[in-house]
Amino acid sequence: MAQYEKILLKNMEQPGYTGALGDYERTGGYQALRKVFTEMSPDQVIDEVKKSGLRGRGGAGFPAGVKWGFIPKDHPGPKYLCCNADESEPGTFKDRQLMERDPHQMLEGMAITCFAIGAETAYVYIRGEFRLGAKILEKAVQEANAAGYLGENVLGSGQTIKIHVHAGAGAYICGEETALLESLEGKRGMPRFKPPFPATHGLYQKPTVVNNVETMANIPHIINRGGEWFSGIGSPPKSCGTRIFCLSGHVKRPGNYEVPMGIPFRELIYDVGGGMRSDKPLKAFIPGGASAPFLTPDHLDVKMDFEAVAMAGSMLGSGGVTVMEEGTSMVWAALRLMEFFYHESCGKCTPCREGSSWLAQTLQRIWNRQGREGDLDLLAELCKNIAGRTVCAFGEAEVGPIQSTLKYFRHEYEALIQEAEASRPRSKEIPVMTQ
Amino acid sequence: MATQATTTETVTLTIDGQSTTVPKGTLVIEAARQVGVMVPHFCYHPKLSPDANCRMCLVEIEKMPRLQTSCSTPVAEGMVVKSSSSTQAQDARKSVLDFILANHPLDCPVCDQGGRCDLQDFSHEYTATTSRFKELKRVFNKEYFSPLIETQMNRCVQCLRCVRYCDQVMDVKALAPVGRGTLTEIKAFGAHELDCEFCGGCIQICPVGAITSRLSMYEFRPWMLKRTDSVCGYCGDGCQITFQTKGNALIEINSTQGSGRNNGDLCARGYFGYHVSEHSDRLNLPLIRKGDDLQPVQWDEALELVGQRLLDIKAKHGADAIGGLISGRCTNEDIFVFQKFMRGVIGTNRIDSSVRYGHLNGVHAMQRVQGTHRWSVCFDDIESADTLLLVGTNITETNPITGLRVKEAVKRRGAKLITIEALEPAIGSISNIVNLAQHHLGVKPTGYAAAILGLVKAVVEQSILDVELQAKSPAFFNDISARLQALSWESIAAQTSLASDTFIQAARVFGQGKKVVILVGPGVLRSTGGFGMTTNLLDLLLLTGKLAQPGCGLAPLAEENNDQGAYEMGGIGAVLPGGTSLGDSEAREHISKAWGRPIPDTSGSSLPQMIEDAQQGKLKALFVVGENPLASLPPSSGIHMALKKLEFLVCQELFLTETAQQAHAVLPACSYAEKDGTFTNTEGHIQSVRKAIDLVGESRPDWEIFSALSVTMNDPMEYGDVKEIGKEIRNLLPGTRTLGPAPLPAQPNSSTIARYVTADYQRDVATRYQLPANATETDDLILQVSQSLFHSGKFSRKAKGLIQVEAMGKLYLHPEEAARRGIGDGDTVKVSNGLGEVLTPVGLRERIPQGVVVYPEHFDEEIRQLLPFDVDAETQVPYCKIARVHLEKMVGP
Amino acid sequence: MLLVKFKDEVEEILSRYPVKRSALLPLLNLAQREEGFVSELAMRDIAKVLDLTPPQVFETVTFYTMFHLKPIGKFHLQVCKSLMCALVRSDELVTWISKKLNIGPGQTTVDGNFTLSVVECLGSCGTGPMMQVNDDYYEQLTEEKVGRVLDDLARVGECSLKSGPFMFPMPLAKS
Ligand SMILES: Cc1cc2nc3c(=O)[nH]c(=O)nc-3n(C[C@H](O)[C@H](O)[C@H](O)COP(=O)(O)O)c2cc1C
Ligand code: SF4
Ligand code: FES
Repeated sequence: MAQYEKILLKNMEQPGYTGALGDYERTGGYQALRKVFTEMSPDQVIDEVKKSGLRGRGGAGFPAGVKWGFIPKDHPGPKYLCCNADESEPGTFKDRQLMERDPHQMLEGMAITCFAIGAETAYVYIRGEFRLGAKILEKAVQEANAAGYLGENVLGSGQTIKIHVHAGAGAYICGEETALLESLEGKRGMPRFKPPFPATHGLYQKPTVVNNVETMANIPHIINRGGEWFSGIGSPPKSCGTRIFCLSGHVKRPGNYEVPMGIPFRELIYDVGGGMRSDKPLKAFIPGGASAPFLTPDHLDVKMDFEAVAMAGSMLGSGGVTVMEEGTSMVWAALRLMEFFYHESCGKCTPCREGSSWLAQTLQRIWNRQGREGDLDLLAELCKNIAGRTVCAFGEAEVGPIQSTLKYFRHEYEALIQEAEASRPRSKEIPVMTQ
Repeated sequence: MATQATTTETVTLTIDGQSTTVPKGTLVIEAARQVGVMVPHFCYHPKLSPDANCRMCLVEIEKMPRLQTSCSTPVAEGMVVKSSSSTQAQDARKSVLDFILANHPLDCPVCDQGGRCDLQDFSHEYTATTSRFKELKRVFNKEYFSPLIETQMNRCVQCLRCVRYCDQVMDVKALAPVGRGTLTEIKAFGAHELDCEFCGGCIQICPVGAITSRLSMYEFRPWMLKRTDSVCGYCGDGCQITFQTKGNALIEINSTQGSGRNNGDLCARGYFGYHVSEHSDRLNLPLIRKGDDLQPVQWDEALELVGQRLLDIKAKHGADAIGGLISGRCTNEDIFVFQKFMRGVIGTNRIDSSVRYGHLNGVHAMQRVQGTHRWSVCFDDIESADTLLLVGTNITETNPITGLRVKEAVKRRGAKLITIEALEPAIGSISNIVNLAQHHLGVKPTGYAAAILGLVKAVVEQSILDVELQAKSPAFFNDISARLQALSWESIAAQTSLASDTFIQAARVFGQGKKVVILVGPGVLRSTGGFGMTTNLLDLLLLTGKLAQPGCGLAPLAEENNDQGAYEMGGIGAVLPGGTSLGDSEAREHISKAWGRPIPDTSGSSLPQMIEDAQQGKLKALFVVGENPLASLPPSSGIHMALKKLEFLVCQELFLTETAQQAHAVLPACSYAEKDGTFTNTEGHIQSVRKAIDLVGESRPDWEIFSALSVTMNDPMEYGDVKEIGKEIRNLLPGTRTLGPAPLPAQPNSSTIARYVTADYQRDVATRYQLPANATETDDLILQVSQSLFHSGKFSRKAKGLIQVEAMGKLYLHPEEAARRGIGDGDTVKVSNGLGEVLTPVGLRERIPQGVVVYPEHFDEEIRQLLPFDVDAETQVPYCKIARVHLEKMVGP
Repeated sequence: MLLVKFKDEVEEILSRYPVKRSALLPLLNLAQREEGFVSELAMRDIAKVLDLTPPQVFETVTFYTMFHLKPIGKFHLQVCKSLMCALVRSDELVTWISKKLNIGPGQTTVDGNFTLSVVECLGSCGTGPMMQVNDDYYEQLTEEKVGRVLDDLARVGECSLKSGPFMFPMPLAKS
């Protein structure tokens, strides 16, 4: 099995590494922060990150440096950084590990980002269920404050960088960046329409950067070792660096694995993950979290980079790879995901709000052997009527599983419907009233 | 959003093949509307910031990926938009309807909105015939929502217009979207019923039938209703309302966005207060006193009696033995004919009207300093002001719709708000304007005079002064400066509890304003020294050089719907129609000639004067039209005795009021819903009142009764209809009656200003720039009797909608003040002072400052016996709304 | 009043944000931790501190699934039922718990100790089947393991099987 150099998980995999400030410092922690404060200008930091080709790890894959560059330079008044630690995409559990095991790595990344964009205040929006993660982060922030890496007068520079941990309270949609901002403002987590984008009208309508935990965690390494170094890893020019893929489902060794982008799925599932859990063969896999359309064994040799997966009709998304073995009903799988999306639709947009319940109910019916002829056309049309017509990307996400399973496993749906039709009593003729 | 940045930049774009040029920043949906392309929508509303949630307004825009919501997309140069010409967009709309109808109960046959429902209309347009939705529909369990407002959440399309209106426009925030996703429903708080301003805005703005009025529920189908546009008869804001009648029944009232000075917004009084006209207590026939009783008679008999008695008294005691009092609720035409009757037929200037109760102070001060009897600004100037100073006005409750302009200015356009107010910032179930203030100068109801002086002093000390005027009129500046210098900050603090700093900060903000409007309310206009205080506020504008600047000015808020008109129609003795002084012999000539009747040159007299004269036997008869002085004035005014002493009291009324019960003759007048005419609102805008229902019983319009009376008195003033009166007024006063969509604000008159700063100011400068005696804070509680949002005078107590929201008077005080005295919500207390003692239940309100108790004037039968009576030396405005009292908790049941 | 009791904590929370309303979720979390649910009184108190109306607090509370408007059991067992956990038999976990405690999803044991809920993804997809009990995660559960967890909780109020700082898979010790 090929061995790859780890960047993000390297420290935490050292025996005895606790993630406390001392441990982190011993491995060179906060040197990058010192470097930007002593040697670099904010623009240089942004340029370095642009050069690295780092793309967001939260799902959309937007180039981080470019996003930072959108923050108006001469804006009077506060700007904000929000670290998206809402990690709620089914199939994804990497941020949790990054936060709980090596909190300073992401905090240092956040501090550098604050320096680059000129923000004095940053928030970590962590999903409410991650109580342990929030506690660990809070402690780490205190340590960093005490050590002068955060707080007022960072490293004697006179600059202030305050980081606060803000816990959500149970809402997947708050991972969507504008819903996150609404939620952070103490409101219902309903996405905002864009434009305007957070870069100009973000938190409290002020310029704001929202970045994922893993994105942040990469920053210190890019500063320490240079953007060029980073852009040489993985699958340049569009998919640089490593990624932590979250492997779950019917695989022998589920877990978080950091590998360079661009290795094929086959390698991740079979070499890194040890292959299928039982002797049943692979039937389908989700390549990038619940929002990503299903792929089939035919796609095992697709390279795990943004472009290749998109070419294959899905997306790398949040990096959650879920493996399903032969014998798993794809209708059932789609239903489980659809129930999730129905539960999590914020309810703002008519198509998503009403469509998610309609889709979930229809799938339930089909799965309960009460499907009807015409249901599949209806499903397809409902999906078409949701995707692309909503405020946020949830609309596309929720239809992905259905569209892709309909595409690759239509026969499973048909079989269930046929079963239902066969067992259904033929409709009686309507009795005609006689005089 | 209704608020577009004032910009001259324009953008040209094409919509469905039509080219149009609109201001930059316009939304595509608005631009489309301007070229006649109606993009279907649910969540968009021009009053609200876009939310783009319904996805109905999708359009195709060239060079943009996917469909765009036209409600949230601003126009761009060269944009090519396809709405109905895009099959893709049409298809998307159809699918949105499909989604909405999936969970919709389709109960149109029993829905009050049926027939005027956006969902119905769009469904019809997009021919969504049968739904493919075969699953179970979402059903919300019905819960009681509120006394006046009903929800049917199964019909809700979740556009959140109601919620956004309640927050963005009203600043009330009483509606909550509860839950998530398709199970979201609109509720109040928990399982509690809605507790809010009951403005009816959520009902009006709901595009479907999810929120409806309980007052009219199930009583109509929209197409059965006849619409009559008219003007609300409650407060000086002058909101345009549309009566919706079925046969002769008033079914509901609403108001159309885009029309009227209120732009479709209403308050509880306007929206739910319309049943007074139909009340079963309405007088059907004239009544005349026979012994102890008032007995119904026919009109002939009543008119004969009234005419004869008036003629007799005139013959015996002279015309000045007769006085007249008319309500500011009457139309301009009524008031005009009344004063003509009094001056021309009776021959006296002893006329007064409710403008005397306070608004006169404002008008009189404007006349004096700037030579106008109207505002030099209008509502739109309030909205576009950059700095607003509110003094003594709990504007939400007295003038709610003017209040919306203030909210718009502050919340959406970023105006700075300074308040001098006896309310404290606190969130309650109705909005509280001081919550929005950047600088709140909180005073007790007795502290306004000192606070105004403090602000003027700060302005002078900080030299925020108009140097030009200062150079021109140094004496005025020096005189005032010297007087202010003599007032110590300590002495101001003794009456306001505010430090100099507070005033200085507010003064700086005030000084920086380019468009500054001062709104003055009853706290100033109706309290001791009201005229002086108002004049001092004008001084503030003068000193800072803002008085004559465009967009700047003083705006005294009229309490009754036609107080302004009452003044302008000559409804007070000292003023002729047109607002000129009775002493202006040229004007008097002109009017006498037109009438063919001499106007007496004896001075007119005010209501307080008439009370005194009646007590002394100098006034023998009083003609009271729509007023109820026995209920409006406290016993300390001497009104009881005065009325008793009269030889003849005639009341023209809708109901048998306290005063009417004392009368020798009662003439049944009709309400504003039954007649035509005009009202002039607080900004001086004249608007048409139109007859919506038939006359109740034998009641008649006021003007018609005066006219009939003049005939029996052998001096006929004959009018065929209201239009003839209007014509007469127009001829008499050219230029004063422009009925249009918006008023033209009056221009301050430079020679009046010059006269004021050189000489006229001196007349009372000494008293005005002195702290009032007896205003220093003491341990006594200050009782303030004031206007509530849910009532207007005593009249609205007959409105079944309003009485459901507020049914009785309570003494309101701050929870901590109450706690300190061991008083709980609902307890009974004894309020007392040297004038008497009263038992009343207590209510708690956090916005009432400690040391102050407030009682709604609409229920003041008992409490008014505690009010002392005082009259303004200059304007004869009676002051009787404030008293010092003691409070005692009553134990036992 | 809650906010008096936790005055310092409330002030610290308020100090984190330039706009008061942002403190809403943290304060609700505080209230719920104290009382076990979000009471009406708490909502009113919080509204007052943040210059909000009670309905504004209420609408926010009801958007988030972690807030309870009514008291629930002392231990809230939340089993993830989303696809990834379902693939590794989370439905059976629900059955095991139901069998042991005699309650179904949405129900509370008669002694008020346990409330069982079936929830969506908790971010623990590689270590299913799993459940969250109050603040703690319990992962890779088997029937036997979950039995022990429930016993321990009922007996001593905590259980050592709860997850610590997350690392999955644990790296093989280098030899
Ligand atoms: C429905 C939805 C849910 C999302 N959930 C998350 C999430 O849990 N965590 C995350 O980092 N990004 C999430 N995102 C992506 C964010 O909107 C945003 O793109 C990301 O935080 C940007 O950070 P990045 O550029 O570093 O990836 C979600 C997006 C959508 C549309
Ligand atoms: S697409 Fe769905 S989740 Fe996204 S804003 Fe619209 S309703 Fe909310
Ligand atoms: S009107 Fe545009 S989305 Fe509702």
